[in-house]
Amino acid sequence: MTFSKLPILALTVLVGSGAAANVHAEADVYGNFPVTVPGYAGDHTDSTSYAGQIARHLLHNSLKKLAGQGDGSNAEALREQMMAYYDGKGPGREILDPRSQGAFVVAQQTIDEVSRERNLSGSVYGGQVTGWPGNMTGDEVLRFMIDKAAHTTGGIDPLTGYNYQQLISKFLMGAVFYNQAVDKYLDENLSPDVKPNDKPYSEGAPYTGKEHSWDEAFGYFGAPAHALELDAETAYLIAKADESVLAAADRNGDGKVDLYTEMTYAHAYYAADADKSGKTDYLHTITQAFVDGRKLLVEAGGEALTDAQRATLRGYADTIKTAWEKVIAEAAFKYAGSVYADLEKLKIIVESNGDPSKAFRGYVTHWGELKGFAMALQTSGRDLGETAVRLNRLIGYGPVLLGGGQVTGIDADGNYQIGGSRDLGEYMVHMIKVQQLLGEAFDLVARKNDVTGGMEKLVKDLGESKSAEND
Amino acid sequence: MWAFAQDYATAVFGDLLDPQKRVFWGYLASAWLISFLWLFVRRRAGLVRAAGEFFSAASWLTRSARADYLVFLLNGAIMMLLAPALLSQLTIAYALFQWMHGWFDGRPMLQWSPGAIAAAFTVTLFVADDLARYWVHRMLHRVPALWAFHKVHHTATSLNPLTVFRTHPMEGILFSLRGAVVQGGCVAPFIFFFGDRVELVTVLGASAFTFAFNALGSNLRHSHVALGYWRWLEFVVMSPAQHQVHHSIDARHVDRNFGATLSFWDWLFGTHCHSQTREPLVFGVRGADGPGAHRLASLYLLPFAEAFRAVASKLPGTRAGQRAVAAAE
Repeated sequence: MTFSKLPILALTVLVGSGAAANVHAEADVYGNFPVTVPGYAGDHTDSTSYAGQIARHLLHNSLKKLAGQGDGSNAEALREQMMAYYDGKGPGREILDPRSQGAFVVAQQTIDEVSRERNLSGSVYGGQVTGWPGNMTGDEVLRFMIDKAAHTTGGIDPLTGYNYQQLISKFLMGAVFYNQAVDKYLDENLSPDVKPNDKPYSEGAPYTGKEHSWDEAFGYFGAPAHALELDAETAYLIAKADESVLAAADRNGDGKVDLYTEMTYAHAYYAADADKSGKTDYLHTITQAFVDGRKLLVEAGGEALTDAQRATLRGYADTIKTAWEKVIAEAAFKYAGSVYADLEKLKIIVESNGDPSKAFRGYVTHWGELKGFAMALQTSGRDLGETAVRLNRLIGYGPVLLGGGQVTGIDADGNYQIGGSRDLGEYMVHMIKVQQLLGEAFDLVARKNDVTGGMEKLVKDLGESKSAEND
Repeated sequence: MWAFAQDYATAVFGDLLDPQKRVFWGYLASAWLISFLWLFVRRRAGLVRAAGEFFSAASWLTRSARADYLVFLLNGAIMMLLAPALLSQLTIAYALFQWMHGWFDGRPMLQWSPGAIAAAFTVTLFVADDLARYWVHRMLHRVPALWAFHKVHHTATSLNPLTVFRTHPMEGILFSLRGAVVQGGCVAPFIFFFGDRVELVTVLGASAFTFAFNALGSNLRHSHVALGYWRWLEFVVMSPAQHQVHHSIDARHVDRNFGATLSFWDWLFGTHCHSQTREPLVFGVRGADGPGAHRLASLYLLPFAEAFRAVASKLPGTRAGQRAVAAAE
């Protein structure tokens, strides 16, 4: 509540808040970059190529769909089906999500129509996942979760509070897409001797080593090629296959949404979700840096990058990595807020002897998202140090159950051990601390579902009192 | 170094452009206007005198005033260096917010209208802050080790709006702590009960009370313009002349009028004194008015020695304590 336009003191200058405009006029599209490979003799005129990454997005989306299809009697068959999307490379795999929905018609029906012989297991974070019990690598965690998911009804294990659909999806997005992009393509592959720019990526390829590495990172982000023409809300709704945004999604106007270039996936979707707050512009910041980096590679004209060009490219990569990390942290922040609200609801229901089953499902779903994103944050190859330790300790291995128990480990047979006696109120405080930790460690801005209700902003509005000023 | 210099310049001179600060140019202008109107209309002073009184050389160009300016400039740098180590209001607010979940076994939210929440928060913050200012100020006078530092402010023998910054950095730390406790202590419960609907009623970005207090002549408190209010109003609100009484060396005025905005606290806790606008006051501290009183070394270092002696005198095992005991016997 402000009265801020008193003419007598009009010297105060209103400074722009920094939230960028949502739509870029005449925006850049990621694609149609010319072939620069020296001596290229093929037919391609466009060197852009990230179909393998989009195929993995489709494998992920489909795997998530399957993870919720357990009915208590189909465990082995379901596990095999899930593994076909996670580990298999065989032909004929249908795209289970996204699919045509009313007027929102998608152009492809099988994974092979986008790219052949792709799997997820070959590109998973190889380090230890400390946020999950059992001292496992990323790949082992996902195989373990897939097996467990197959034995549930609807993807949820009520005894542990695990929602495997969410856990698999959110962790996999980090362990595959985020890890491969920021640790490999935008880091290792930017070195002079790795995938050089004066040679084709592979023999006969129409793109150089650096060009294709850059494309692969862009593909993993999951933005539509024309993301800079879209506002956050539209980019978000495209991922939901919402009919209202069909025209915006269908850039080539063929009446169908091309799952390769016109769909929103994974972290691009969560970037748009954060940007809907109007406080951030992650989707455009990241996409613009990708476009600018790719243009730089085109300008390099198939020559090895100079030191100056490499420094500029690394600058774009740093912009992408920083914003991408924030996107994941913003998502974890948001779901910590959801879990807090769920706990509040559950406490009231339990205290009034009501039926908590519906609220419990909501709680463990949000918890699965929180946990998955928190684990994903730790797959970038960057050591988060104390932040990771505190984050894992505050969230724990599992949600606090209504009886106060929580998963504390896994025994030698792969069964969960449950112990402890935390109450729901105490766990609410943990969620506050999770948000505080994420907000401070990653300098978050969108801060959706902030349980402290904008305490930081309020304190900032009150002004600093750190000056030596008497009465 | 350059970045520090830029931050320093922004911190020090930014106050002149910040409506949350008392020395914001608009408040200085309004103080002059009020001074002019009061002298010209009420005291029937000549036009030149009424317009110039606020800028008198006796207020702005004395040895005491020059010390004020130097302390202001030096403190800017000292507080910038100290600031990262000081406890923040956000830390206190977060801790209190978390504890409240235990005290209330969850989080019972209250459904008030936005206007009522904003009004309640703004009034609570103002009252709590003003009360805390009263008691901290009173302690600064009554506790010898604290008085050693607060005396720096009172050794000013002439008053101008920048005298407000003639403050020892140790006192600055104490004020920062006071602000953090009050703000954190108000923000946390309001956020706890009302969530993100809590707002401060502001004018130009400053609390409506801060704005009103400053726009209505707070800068005249440290000036030679003895603007008093009606007697009944001086029981509630501290007039500039009442604060000048607080700086007077007259024995009748010592340890009176500790209040910041409200004089009500002084009335409630027995330290109230009305303004005295008939006779000119002499400002300063009796016995501390020599030429060395305005040297920077004296202002910054002597308080430590004096505070040490004050503390040591309370410890029987020390020489200072033994001297104090012997003197008492």
